[in-house]
Amino acid sequence: MKKVLIDPGRCVGCMQCMFACAVAHSQSKTLLGALLDKPRPRPRVHVGTTPDGRGFPNRCRHCDPAPCLAACLPGAIFRDPDSGTVLIDPDRCIDCGSCAMACPFGVLRFHQDYTAPAGKEVAVKCDNCDQRQAQGLEPACVEACMTGALTFEEPDQALKRRTDQVSLLVLSGDEAQADLPAGLALLRAVKKATAEMNRR
Amino acid sequence: MPRYVIIGNGIAGVSAAETIRSLDPDSPLLMIAAEEFPPYSRPMISLLLEGAVTPERMIIRPPDFYQRLGIEALVGHQVVELDPQAARLRTHRGESVAYDRLLIASGADPRPVEVPGGDMAGIFCMRTEAQVRGMLEMLPGVEQALVLGGGLVGFKAAYGLLHRGVKVTMLIRSPHPLAMQVDAHAGELIRRELEAHGLTVQVGVEVQEFWGEERVQGALLSSGQKLDCQLVVVGKGVRPALDFLPPGQVKVDSGILVDANLRTSLEGVYAAGDVAQALDSVRGRPWVNAIWPVAVEQGRVAGANLAGRPVSYRGSVGRNVMRIFGLDLMTAGLVNPPQDQEGYRVLAESDPRRGTYRRLVLRDGRLVGMVLLGEIEQGGVLLSLIQRGLPLAVEPEHLLEPSFNFASLMP
Repeated sequence: MKKVLIDPGRCVGCMQCMFACAVAHSQSKTLLGALLDKPRPRPRVHVGTTPDGRGFPNRCRHCDPAPCLAACLPGAIFRDPDSGTVLIDPDRCIDCGSCAMACPFGVLRFHQDYTAPAGKEVAVKCDNCDQRQAQGLEPACVEACMTGALTFEEPDQALKRRTDQVSLLVLSGDEAQADLPAGLALLRAVKKATAEMNRR
Repeated sequence: MPRYVIIGNGIAGVSAAETIRSLDPDSPLLMIAAEEFPPYSRPMISLLLEGAVTPERMIIRPPDFYQRLGIEALVGHQVVELDPQAARLRTHRGESVAYDRLLIASGADPRPVEVPGGDMAGIFCMRTEAQVRGMLEMLPGVEQALVLGGGLVGFKAAYGLLHRGVKVTMLIRSPHPLAMQVDAHAGELIRRELEAHGLTVQVGVEVQEFWGEERVQGALLSSGQKLDCQLVVVGKGVRPALDFLPPGQVKVDSGILVDANLRTSLEGVYAAGDVAQALDSVRGRPWVNAIWPVAVEQGRVAGANLAGRPVSYRGSVGRNVMRIFGLDLMTAGLVNPPQDQEGYRVLAESDPRRGTYRRLVLRDGRLVGMVLLGEIEQGGVLLSLIQRGLPLAVEPEHLLEPSFNFASLMP
């Protein structure tokens, strides 16, 4: 089964995934419309900065077992048996924050959402774009990502791809065989140097 | 096929039962529950008091939970005697039960207040849905209420009663609210938030006696002051429910002492949840952390061990999250380090612009405690650092930054 995978080295921090995610989870489903939606749609993927100045698209890993699911007091967090996606029922959610306390990745947010009772703040996180997938679409964050930091693939195949690249790199000793395009590698180096200069 | 018996249908017992069944679908499994109400989320009873949920919303397993898992349930029975030699136990209704493998998940009982008049009608503890139901039945006509204790239960009781339009006075023995969970600074901020919403807080004070005819009508304080009230909630902590154990045969401290596999000193007997005293990974010694997520994890580990899979328990960490009117609070681990010990370092930062306060306690370069007031969403990342107990790979100051997130920890 395909899953959303992250290649951290390729994230440039552009945050297009965040916009795409918010729009995909809006009522109007367009950027212009989403800007006017009430409540304002919010992303479920969160681009943070590493100490070296790189971006990182932090999203729910749909862990198994899921700490948030175990911690949820009213039993609002459950797993879809077919997809394995960990979901939150906004009607059962009591906004207690236990899930945020349990999540080692810090992906839970609390706000209003059009899928929740009006005016009620609830726990919100990535839902694997299950509804988009049902329509044959990729998750919105993957569709938006231009650098390949977010991909939608079979984990085994992605692992094989990576292992093959490492083998090529090791055998050839040629840095150019590294999977990272030159532009990205340069950007990473610049960000790292900038961060280092800021530290001094 | 071993015969499993679980004392208690709280979340520790329920988690254990589910884990046993995932490993052993067929052996007989009996659960003994003292409360009649179906398995429910105990922390939600404060929401019941507040009026935010109805009783059915607290139920956390489907009506056919026992049936689905092939569990026999003895509901409304309290275990009053355990005979380890005969491997039998007896309930208060005379039922005698034999076991091969036993899990004690009997929870903890609220400490009653032992002063003259302390057993009068109108004085409640807040541990069960039945107790909250009793409070709600008495609520009409209650104008003033006293809450004894500034801990988590006292807090939630005060909050719930305020929501119901009752004038609440909180009487605390410690110098500030939530003395076990937060430092003095956060405690003061919390006290002010409560007072801004109509709560009266008195610190350094205790009740000496209650008076009233048929039901409580007032209390005399250690300060000499007399307070009128029509309802009292006692939140003075809980005591592990282990009175049914045969004296001198089981290793106990405040709770039942258990090893890394949650085994008690009795053969074939395990303990989990509020009754159990397992390793606290921050304190480095056995400690009862009577909170929901600990009961879940201990229930699962004990269940696995009972079913023959020797999973070891890494230890518990005390933690809590709650929203108090306009303040969100998350706490974990050791928040007030002992003054007389070396190796501790405390970092704290207030940001009035963002309305946040963050306090971190480090020991030998590892995070061992935290208080987050406002912006609690990244608290789980910090908690995982406390639980793992590894030296920090980044400067501790980074953890205080407003932009702190999971990526801040990536090399």
